[in-house]
Amino acid sequence: MTEKDKTIEIRWHGRGGQGAVTSAELLALAAIEEGKFAQAFPSFGPERRGAPVLVFNRVSDVNPIRARVSVTNPDIVVILDPGLIYITDVTSGLKEGGVLIINTTKTLVDITSELNGPWKLAVVNATSIAREMLGVPIVNTTMLGALVKATGIIELESLTEPLKERFGARAKGNIDACRKAYEETEIAELSGIVEKPRKTFETETFPSWQELLPGCVVTEAGNAKQYRTGDWKSERPVLDHQKCIKCGICYLFCPEGCIGQNEDGYFEANLYYCKGCGICARECWTEAIKMVEEE
Amino acid sequence: MKRTGMEGSFAIAEAIKLARVEAVAAYPITPQTHIVERLAEFVANGELDAEYIPVESEHSAMSACLGTSAVGARTFTATASQGLELMHEVLYVASGLRLPIVMTVANRALSAPLSIWTDHSDAMATRDCGWIQIFAENAQQAFDLTLCAFRIAEDPIVLLPTMFHIDGFYVSHTIESVEFLEQEVVDKFLPEYRHPYPLDPDKPVTIGAFGPPFIYTEAKKAHEAALRSSKKVILRVWQEFSKLSGRHYSPVESYKAEDADVLLLCMGSFSETAMMAIDKMQAEGQKVGLIRLRLWRPFPTEELRQAVSKAQVLIILDRALSLGGTPPVCSEIQAALYPLKTRPKIVSFVGSLGGREISAQGFEEVIRHGVDKAKQGELDEFEIIGVRE
Repeated sequence: MTEKDKTIEIRWHGRGGQGAVTSAELLALAAIEEGKFAQAFPSFGPERRGAPVLVFNRVSDVNPIRARVSVTNPDIVVILDPGLIYITDVTSGLKEGGVLIINTTKTLVDITSELNGPWKLAVVNATSIAREMLGVPIVNTTMLGALVKATGIIELESLTEPLKERFGARAKGNIDACRKAYEETEIAELSGIVEKPRKTFETETFPSWQELLPGCVVTEAGNAKQYRTGDWKSERPVLDHQKCIKCGICYLFCPEGCIGQNEDGYFEANLYYCKGCGICARECWTEAIKMVEEE
Repeated sequence: MKRTGMEGSFAIAEAIKLARVEAVAAYPITPQTHIVERLAEFVANGELDAEYIPVESEHSAMSACLGTSAVGARTFTATASQGLELMHEVLYVASGLRLPIVMTVANRALSAPLSIWTDHSDAMATRDCGWIQIFAENAQQAFDLTLCAFRIAEDPIVLLPTMFHIDGFYVSHTIESVEFLEQEVVDKFLPEYRHPYPLDPDKPVTIGAFGPPFIYTEAKKAHEAALRSSKKVILRVWQEFSKLSGRHYSPVESYKAEDADVLLLCMGSFSETAMMAIDKMQAEGQKVGLIRLRLWRPFPTEELRQAVSKAQVLIILDRALSLGGTPPVCSEIQAALYPLKTRPKIVSFVGSLGGREISAQGFEEVIRHGVDKAKQGELDEFEIIGVRE
């Protein structure tokens, strides 16, 4: 098989609301615009804002795309949120010689100590670029710039029309963010054995059909509390005790119901469940709550 | 016990009363109405200690039944035709949640054109909904099989809703003789219903949670396995009932079929009219017999294969169409017999749609015509009998 015959497979890791689906759509549209064959599709589910999501692309220079199945052995992995590398096995199935692209504040060296393998690694501080160029930490278009720089899968210019079509009046900021990320992305060739972050990922085991109770009844009441929705956040609320008047408005507005009153009367979010939506900070009229980016 | 003259619908209501049903949620629809009207009377006059929930539609009727069955109340409803279609989506919920609701369907054609008259279109439209489905031919069978339905449905290894079909009007509105059972006998046969995981505020459980791709297939496999293995419970319950009543039921019932070369297969009340044709033709020395499917789900593949093993010709009368496809009963039988090395020639007829009758003489003609078609080898398409050209 020649290089041209190959289908490049991409897996995007993002969080609900970060625009990973849009990234993959724009990439496919740009590739098709160039005369290539391309596909973009999300893994459908009940995900909400902040929940880890997967999106997939396939791009081929000459062949129509037939596979209608998730990408499990990607050539390229793009990670929109740095926190995901600790809760998801982001390099799972990544091919030898593949490309790993991460939005992170960390340097190449720091990342390599956590996430090594026989890959090309690209890093960019996309959150900072997006804040600067767009005013919001939505990194989808920014990460497209990093992807193009690290892989050359399409021409950067090919994104202009799809971006205009998609964002209308807001297209310029997105085009600028994309270009800035293209310029700032740093790339290194890694080598050696695969290393994953310290966290050992829980391998989920599912019951056989014979183990299910009649009608799939769940006998453990309230087991939703085991669900660590705190893993979904990219920002966390920090309370300034000087400004807080203990009014409890944050408690009333928290959609997750994860804010409780402590012994001293302050209302605090339980970070095991807090999804980092920022509604408490927005509603706090003494501005005692600030949203701070997760490490 | 003494035989009593009674309308089929009322005989079913008697069975429901004897079964000490605790909840009824129903919406009246012809030709089922008499059953639930009589039950409403029983509840109103104190003869039946049950919650009767009048609802605004059949969709609500089945939805209410989900709730009453899930809290552990023995639950009954009845419907027909458009009403069964309206509750269609909830049928799948009832079986998927493994709630042993019992329902009578007084079979009736589906609109359009609007028809209140009998055929099996409504039954066939629900064949894949995961319920146990049984056909009764007369008021006595309806009475007996109603009692058996609760025992089967509520068996801890079954826990599946059970639908039994009677022909609208020809059973529901026909007065005939029925032999009842004493309350003490029924009480012994039908112990109190206990769902193993009921909805109970003191011991909360979740039922009806969503099933993502990683669990849905397993859930369906478990449902399929439960429905298939319900057959051994059905056989056991019918056997026990026969000791009690002297009346025998089996998944596939043969009538004078031992030495028959030609078999007619049908379902529902018209099977009894067909028996008259069989009697007459046998008296004339013809080797014809009758097979009736009593159990429709789980499909009794082994029993069917056994019942037709010696026949040369099998004539199947469907009372419903699968528009644009093969008639439903015929296609199932063809599928069941296809893997066999030797099998009878199958002639497929559709008849008796929307209340059109077939007389005993009509059945004779059906059999003769079927035999002719088999001789001519005209087996590749079904034929609607009695249609004006």
